[in-house]
Amino acid sequence: MLINKTGEINHMYRERYRLLLPNTMTKRPSIFKQWFEETGNLSAFAGRYLRDSLRPPYDFGELLRQAFEVGYRSLGLVAITAFIMGLVITIQSRPTLVEFGAESWLPAMVSVSLVREIVPVVTALICAGRVGSGIGAELGSMKVTEQIDAMEVSGTNPFKYLVVSRITAATLMLPILVVIADAVSLWGAYIGVNIKGVVSYDLYVRQVFDTLEYSDVVPSIIKCVFFGFAIGLIGCFKGYTTTKGTEGVGMAANAAVVVSSLVVFIIDLLAAQITDLLNLN
Amino acid sequence: MKKATGNKIRLGLFVTGGIFLLMAALYMIGSRRNIFSDTVKVTGDFYNVDGLMVGHNVRFCGIDVGTVDEIEFVNDSSVRVTMLISQDMQKHIRSNAIASIGTDGLMGNKLVSISPRGGTAAYIKDNDALETLRPVETGEMIRTLKVTNDNLAAITDDLRTITEKVNTRNTLWSLLLDTAVAENVKQAIVDIRITGRNSAVVTGDLSRIVNGIREGKGSVGAIISDTTLYGQVKQTIVDIKLAGERTAIITGNLDSLIGSVRKGEGSIGALIMDTSFAHKINKTLDNLEDGSDNFNQNMEALKQSFLLRKYFRKQAKQQPPK
Repeated sequence: MLINKTGEINHMYRERYRLLLPNTMTKRPSIFKQWFEETGNLSAFAGRYLRDSLRPPYDFGELLRQAFEVGYRSLGLVAITAFIMGLVITIQSRPTLVEFGAESWLPAMVSVSLVREIVPVVTALICAGRVGSGIGAELGSMKVTEQIDAMEVSGTNPFKYLVVSRITAATLMLPILVVIADAVSLWGAYIGVNIKGVVSYDLYVRQVFDTLEYSDVVPSIIKCVFFGFAIGLIGCFKGYTTTKGTEGVGMAANAAVVVSSLVVFIIDLLAAQITDLLNLN
Repeated sequence: MKKATGNKIRLGLFVTGGIFLLMAALYMIGSRRNIFSDTVKVTGDFYNVDGLMVGHNVRFCGIDVGTVDEIEFVNDSSVRVTMLISQDMQKHIRSNAIASIGTDGLMGNKLVSISPRGGTAAYIKDNDALETLRPVETGEMIRTLKVTNDNLAAITDDLRTITEKVNTRNTLWSLLLDTAVAENVKQAIVDIRITGRNSAVVTGDLSRIVNGIREGKGSVGAIISDTTLYGQVKQTIVDIKLAGERTAIITGNLDSLIGSVRKGEGSIGALIMDTSFAHKINKTLDNLEDGSDNFNQNMEALKQSFLLRKYFRKQAKQQPPK
């Protein structure tokens, strides 16, 4: 029945045809309610991941396949971006340092900036765009085409097979991507330093590693673990909870990118605060 | 199946490459901090570490030789800094070296700078303690600068006053602008130069004279260079001394004689000191004067007497005319 006995639109039909109805006929939950509901569902989703990831059986085949997709296939894009970032940051920083007569500090300053902040965040954003949207769209389409339901019916645990493998792959691959991106960006910075100056490779490496400390590298790698986890988790959550058919798939992919990018920045902020509290700056 | 295997190999390469890069980076950072090399631990007690932190560099003669390992309080006025120094550098750093807190460049990190002090002290060994220098504190530097600034302000103030006076009274300017003054100064300089030249000539002459005297030339030279003269001079001095002693004795005798005379002792004393005797002498002298006057009158009378007139005329004729 479209209209129930009390004269109101049936709840089921209201949700399904919400977009076609005028605002006066629909009663959307408040933004705060939506926010808390979403956060609660995401937390439950993360808890389920943690629980299922520790329980055998483990599907290593799928994990490797997802690792290949998330890590190896993102390498080209990440490497090009990292190289450009290294080059651009160096070129942009040079005039300011020249103004202060501190041009010799360029390798040191750029290396710290790249390793601590720029490369991890940019890599995470690229992965949020490429991997997060991919996972969201893939799982979303599986959801709307009821493939996930079919897996459940066939006795396979879809969560373990689809979600655990993807989140774990993203969590493990992002730090490795960032390490490689760090190396590539430092290479780009070396070229950037030598565009308008002359610094030998030996001197450049010495200056970079004289400046870098464990407190620069280790927190950035740990941060990337959380970035990877957040990207995988949000991509899977948005895809796994997709509704509204094919339209929902696009929305899931879009939401996965937007939310995971936002979460990357929030995690970065928290990481900066924690490293500051632990006196690791 | 083939594709899946290829993908796994690529993934393996990717993961291995990433882990290798991470390990290499960690090793290179660690090697800079002497984590993977043998080290010697030395300490230094500082009054103030001025923001030094664990991990900061330790430099010897400007070369990085280690890192700061630990910073701890010894008491309320002493902080102990433990340094890890590369064992390769042990053979260059002596135990009498001085450690001080410095800065890498103008705005760089703090560091411990070890400076050699020379000498033959033994080379450092594990757990040695180095002497330290008190670092220059920024606050102290600013206080000193403030004093310098105040002094500068006072000096500039004085300079301003002087400049104002110079500008107002125009005396110095007129002096500086007067060409006659310049000419006079120029002439004075020429005169000074001539005087200097003459002085040089005079000095040369003096030098020649002195040399001549040294060589025994001339009277003064003979006097100075004659060795026998010394003996004669010495004898003369002895004679003078003897004469002096005798004079002293004579003076003493004279003194006692004068004393006796003053006391009226002896004939001379009586003569000098007895007033009645002097009166008598005066009287006698008066009588003698009167007697001689009378005698003169008698003689004039005798000249006029016919008995002796002939004799006196004969005497007058025999005398040559005056």
